[in-house]
Amino acid sequence: VAEEGVRAGHLFLASFLLLPVAGAPLLSHPTYRRFPGACRIVLSGAAGAVLVSATMTGLALAGLRWSLPGILLPALALGWLLRRLLAGAETPGDGPPSPPAPAAVRAAWVFSFLAVAAAFLGTSAGAATSNDLVFFWGPKAAQFAQARTLDARFLGDPLLNYMHPYYPPLVTNLWAFGAMAAGRFPWGAVTATFPLFLAALALGLPGVLRTALPRSRAHAISCLAVSALASIGLTGFVAGNAEMPLFLFETLGMALLLSPFSSESAGRLLAGLLLAGAASAKVEGLPVVLSAVFLFAILERRRARPAGKALAFLLAPTVVVLGLWFAYGASRRLFFGYQGTGRLFDVHWNRAGQILAGIPRTLLDANYALPYLVPFLVFLLMPRGGRRWMVPVGVLPVLVLFFVFVYLHVPDPTLFIQWSAARVFAPAAILFALAAAVRGATGEAP
Amino acid sequence: LRAETKNLRTVAAPLAGAILLLGLAFAALPRLTPLRAPETPFDHTPPELMAQGFALLSRAGEVIPNGASVVARGEPPDPTADTYLHHVAVALLPRRHVLPAAVWGVAAPELAREAEYLVVLGKPPFPPPGDLLLRTRAGTVWRRRA
Repeated sequence: VAEEGVRAGHLFLASFLLLPVAGAPLLSHPTYRRFPGACRIVLSGAAGAVLVSATMTGLALAGLRWSLPGILLPALALGWLLRRLLAGAETPGDGPPSPPAPAAVRAAWVFSFLAVAAAFLGTSAGAATSNDLVFFWGPKAAQFAQARTLDARFLGDPLLNYMHPYYPPLVTNLWAFGAMAAGRFPWGAVTATFPLFLAALALGLPGVLRTALPRSRAHAISCLAVSALASIGLTGFVAGNAEMPLFLFETLGMALLLSPFSSESAGRLLAGLLLAGAASAKVEGLPVVLSAVFLFAILERRRARPAGKALAFLLAPTVVVLGLWFAYGASRRLFFGYQGTGRLFDVHWNRAGQILAGIPRTLLDANYALPYLVPFLVFLLMPRGGRRWMVPVGVLPVLVLFFVFVYLHVPDPTLFIQWSAARVFAPAAILFALAAAVRGATGEAP
Repeated sequence: LRAETKNLRTVAAPLAGAILLLGLAFAALPRLTPLRAPETPFDHTPPELMAQGFALLSRAGEVIPNGASVVARGEPPDPTADTYLHHVAVALLPRRHVLPAAVWGVAAPELAREAEYLVVLGKPPFPPPGDLLLRTRAGTVWRRRA
């Protein structure tokens, strides 16, 4: 039995190797050759994950049962169709020159490796697991894998309402995809998605930042972001839940949005796909995506021309993946939008002081607030200039207001804040790190 | 010189920050026992209830048949802990009809009474609620008598 469990765990994790395959028709376009090989594989995997998840939701909406080939083939076709959008319009991208790595780059690789190793050690010791894995992400994914579809009866069971049936589908779809490959739901292996996705970020982010920054700075910033997420993951207990996929999509999507590549259709399409991954990973992904794209369109008007086309490429993937999800929910009379913890304006204003004091207290208790403060200090230390940094920094108040608004809906939010604040405010660390990356930068990779 | 200082700052500051955060990450790790895998994914994760509940309910599936109705609760009963235990039971006992002993922190004895099987976290209940099927360090599993 134990051997079967180990084998299932290996198969579950190995199934994620199919995600870069699903993204390959798009990422094999010559314009994406500007990214180094490892980065391109990670981007292909991230884009593939969005295509696979969208396919799974679409099949469920159409009443068709899932199978691995039945998911992969339409996902590959979808990627090929997206590639057709780029036909003839793009110039092949040349990768940045790769002379021998300077000491700072080598140091950044070592520190990133150590951050992933810490995440792996903590996860494999059972010291980083999220309770939410067992409360809802896991059981939903296991049930969907067994039912070979999004199970409407399960989602509609009033005794299981605590599983938040309306939560967006990407993570449960991916975990179900892995469980179908494994033949069962391997709980331990699912927690390994935290170090796995963190490793993907460590491999992918430097290559994206490299298109806008000198090599040493790109690697140093990437290493900072990865270390911050490792420490937040270990102190905020994120292994197995949707947090790490959200961080991966948000970080890569935002980094692409801030790069010079976002002035081209291919860059916008890829950024749009990754942002759709963030929007369909967790509820809070949507306000982050909308505010980031809005700020990009306002602050980076020159690069966002023509505005209509830029917005279409950046937002259409999010509209499609969430549109499929809400169409599924409405067609089965399960949900008609995000429901939150109560009615929209059923707000407990008398709790505002408690919430505003509780959030910093929780961050201090969890990790001395260092993973959020250190990237902020690094941002302050960067040379002044430019205004591209305003895009990530401008998203932060939206994120804070969103969660304060969510907490205001709970009659006594003390426990809710203690359980969630350390991890849900993790994107602040990413946003400050990315703001530090582009502050004072010219936008060209020397 | 100014350009070199600027370049140094843009690289040294994030690397120094990363070192500090790495220290924080490694400090968060539990003392590891080499070559000893954890019993559950929650061995060093709060609250303690999660590791114990996961360990017991993982084994409970061996003696509770598919399709049976089951309730999981703690001994002594605690509506808050029992609410979470129900969630863990739903996750680890698929294909069984898992009834709650408590819902949103409120005891639901009328639902719990309907279950054919009882999983009890903690010491065995007295008087025994039925036939004992399994005893582990974390708790016991019972089949109620008709």
